[in-house]
Amino acid sequence: MMKKVQQILPWIVLVFALLYAGQKLVRPDQIDSDYNLDTFRRLPVSASGRTKPLDTVARNSLMNLSGRQSLKTDDGTMSAIEWYIELITNPELSVQRRVFRIDHPDVLALVGLDTEKRTRFSFAELRAAGNEINRQAGLAFDTKAKSRDPFQRAVLVLNQRMSLFSELSQLQNPYLVPPLTSGDDWRSFVNVLNESPSDPDALALLDVLQKYRSGTTEEGGTADEFNASLASYAALVDSEIEYDSRKSRYEVVFNQVQPFIIASTLFLMAFLFGCFGMLSSQLTKKDWSKSLFNSMTSLIVIAFIVQTIGIASRVYLQGRPPITNLYSSAVFIGWFGVIIGLIIDRQMKLGLGGIMASVIGFGTLVVAHNLGSSGDTMEMMQAVLDSNFWLTTHVVVVTIGYSATFFAGFLAIAYVLLGVLTKTLDREFGKSLIKMTYGVICFATVTSFVGTVLGGIWADQSWGRFWGWDAKENGAALIVLWNLLILHARWGGMIRDRGLVILAIFGNIITAWSWFGTNMLGVGLHSYGFTNSAVFWLSIFMLSQIALMGVGMLPMSLWRSKFAKSNPA
Amino acid sequence: MMKIRKLLKPVASLRLTVVIFALSIFLIFAGTLAQVHSGIWTVVDQYFRSIIVSIDLQIFVPKDVATIPGAIWFPGGLTLGVAMLINLVAAHTVRFKLRKKRIGIILTHLGVILLLVGEFVTGFAAKEGNMTIREGETVNFVEDIRSSEISIVDQSDPVDDLVVVIPERFIETGEVISNSLFPFRIEVTEWMANSQMLGPMQAPESRKGIADSGVASELAAMPLPRANGVDGSTVDAPSAYVTFFDGETRLGSYLLSVYVDQPQRVEVDGRTYLVSLRFARTYKPYSLHLIDFKHDLFTGTQMARNYSSDVQLVDTTRNVDREVLIYMNHPLRHAGETFYQASFLRGDAGTVLQVVKNPGWLIPYLSCSIVTLGMLIHFGMRLVPATGRRS
Repeated sequence: MMKKVQQILPWIVLVFALLYAGQKLVRPDQIDSDYNLDTFRRLPVSASGRTKPLDTVARNSLMNLSGRQSLKTDDGTMSAIEWYIELITNPELSVQRRVFRIDHPDVLALVGLDTEKRTRFSFAELRAAGNEINRQAGLAFDTKAKSRDPFQRAVLVLNQRMSLFSELSQLQNPYLVPPLTSGDDWRSFVNVLNESPSDPDALALLDVLQKYRSGTTEEGGTADEFNASLASYAALVDSEIEYDSRKSRYEVVFNQVQPFIIASTLFLMAFLFGCFGMLSSQLTKKDWSKSLFNSMTSLIVIAFIVQTIGIASRVYLQGRPPITNLYSSAVFIGWFGVIIGLIIDRQMKLGLGGIMASVIGFGTLVVAHNLGSSGDTMEMMQAVLDSNFWLTTHVVVVTIGYSATFFAGFLAIAYVLLGVLTKTLDREFGKSLIKMTYGVICFATVTSFVGTVLGGIWADQSWGRFWGWDAKENGAALIVLWNLLILHARWGGMIRDRGLVILAIFGNIITAWSWFGTNMLGVGLHSYGFTNSAVFWLSIFMLSQIALMGVGMLPMSLWRSKFAKSNPA
Repeated sequence: MMKIRKLLKPVASLRLTVVIFALSIFLIFAGTLAQVHSGIWTVVDQYFRSIIVSIDLQIFVPKDVATIPGAIWFPGGLTLGVAMLINLVAAHTVRFKLRKKRIGIILTHLGVILLLVGEFVTGFAAKEGNMTIREGETVNFVEDIRSSEISIVDQSDPVDDLVVVIPERFIETGEVISNSLFPFRIEVTEWMANSQMLGPMQAPESRKGIADSGVASELAAMPLPRANGVDGSTVDAPSAYVTFFDGETRLGSYLLSVYVDQPQRVEVDGRTYLVSLRFARTYKPYSLHLIDFKHDLFTGTQMARNYSSDVQLVDTTRNVDREVLIYMNHPLRHAGETFYQASFLRGDAGTVLQVVKNPGWLIPYLSCSIVTLGMLIHFGMRLVPATGRRS
């Protein structure tokens, strides 16, 4: 009986994961409304220089204001698009919606709302203190970015959110009216109405908005009238810009599905299965641990497929390589880490590769989620970063190098923790773990070197300088040199197993610094802007790695694994 | 032969290799942090192309956290590069064995040697300059924005202008400059390696009226710290207050500056000399005529989508006369030089092209291909079976 369960469990988990991911992919959330908002949110518009569906604008704006992609009201949950269309058609109501997230107590005191026990406030509540917010923001703006205190930063954010709210509600942003001819630019709705009031696109859109307003207020109107008006406007836009509409539709589906959220949920579950597997192998229940590890692998494979679909969708939507900013680099590092993990999992069959894969997959998606919370993650690129064969291959290969260096570091952490805290690290296990770490470092050396060189070729093609000693270039060089140092120290017999893992853990610090730290310096072409909380988290990460190196350097008599005891440093 | 090997043994050790790697890592780390305080080119010269560098301890801690005085001496990039080269060559001399197993390593290291040599060539031989062209203008010189010069033009000859150029190193010392090529003496009252220009209403009292003659006498220049790349500007804009003398006669004090486009007119014995301070120029046998500069933005944003310069390239020495479009990632290569779209003038009135001449530009391509090939062979043969420790 027990045996049966052990055999079947991985298959049950696989089917569950497939169903879970499948139903999200095939049947994304629908909007429950008589008004055909499904068509409305697919309408293409232009914001931050990119043509995108209104749904993306609504979600990103709401995310920027409130930190969520939907809005909780007294009558339940409102989707981003419902909030957006209300914002532009019914200002009396929309200024009452609590969408502004404010956390800083002094800012709350400034607007006189510190007695409220909530973190989200409406425009109407903030309006009274508008002048004071403006004045404080002015003071903060005149302070050098580096020397602003948390209050000043919070006020600036609030002020920026209030202007975003106003721009959206006054229809200045995004550009809603399609170009006259296909080569032209998108146009601002307000400008078109002022300058050419008889423009057919603008009039049709105006009618759509008026129909929504009259239907949802006491002016009297029906959902059918809105739907009819919307259908004719959508057909008009469709006839004018064929390709954009198709992409728009796909992007809406992508927004609804949120593949990276699905993947991170699955990674988290995989991690739990992996932990239980480790636990049962500790309790010498070999059959159970095997079954649990296989279940973990099923979850990871499905998560990986979903993640791949997500990355592929972004490539299709942007028409660019998978890495365009820090957000996408985090996703990609995780994605490649999962590949390495799965390969190791197949080779070692001890569950460790899978646990690594789930930790890295989940961790990088969390990092990405936090990096992407301020707006569109598919923003346009500065002209100099415009696509080019060398740039594309450079970012992909160098990110794989980062990914592999991290992976080696995490394997090393596993070695230290398993060796010090548990008795599982026997001779065979320890040897194969070291072998894996060494192999991944070799791989990381090759990819980080090739990636760095490809960057040099791009730089030479773009501004005639193969190597410019830019902060990010230096960061990449540090990773290459560090990996080389480990390899040469190993070849020279200067370090053995323990030295290898301790140096590999330090590799995590170097990689994190190159990936994030160099952006925080605010110098060079590669610094695409940064937030302060990231500095905090980076420091925490680095300190934790130093602590782990310390644990690794504990005298062998304190290690619980016997293998380690018999194998001096 | 044995003797040489014995001698080389200490410098060929892997221990030394690891030490050099460690030192290089620290140097690059420090050289990256240093860029927060000083310009990237200052850092490159001080840290990466130097024999020895004094590293300020302050760079490791932000100024608003703590002020830390003092500095440590550290081997510069040149020293470490040469050390790496010696170590590498020595190692292969001592341990050289042409065996199938070692082909990957030998190739990799050959590539690394070439890479180091390439960086030396670039460091010593590469030249970078700028060409600033307004729309409709033709320019036949390259400017070096890291140094300036005073030019004196005598237009009295109807056929040829006589141009005398005084390089920056003679101006910055503050000495009296005189030469038989021009009839006056120049006394440098104040030299500003980087400066800002203030109008008559903005200038503080102490800076007013230093110049009493010429087109810029209403303006005032204030010295600024050297540009460091973090505060936005990366280029030093020099200015100088100078006084001209004809024998004992004082001709007047002038403000010369790269900000002032119009030359100063100095008259001696009825002849007019046009004097200006400008970025050091190198004249070329070719010229570029800017037909049109385009600066496209993404719809509804201030973000650049593209910069492009439509130019007419004329080089009579090479029988070239053609129209070229230079834009992002699409430079023009001509006469051993490469022209990149680098920047533009305010109001999109013209373009700034970066002009690079690097005789060693192909070396990195070659060396990196060799290293990559070598590493693939090496790890490809050994990755799976061994843990790699040398017995």
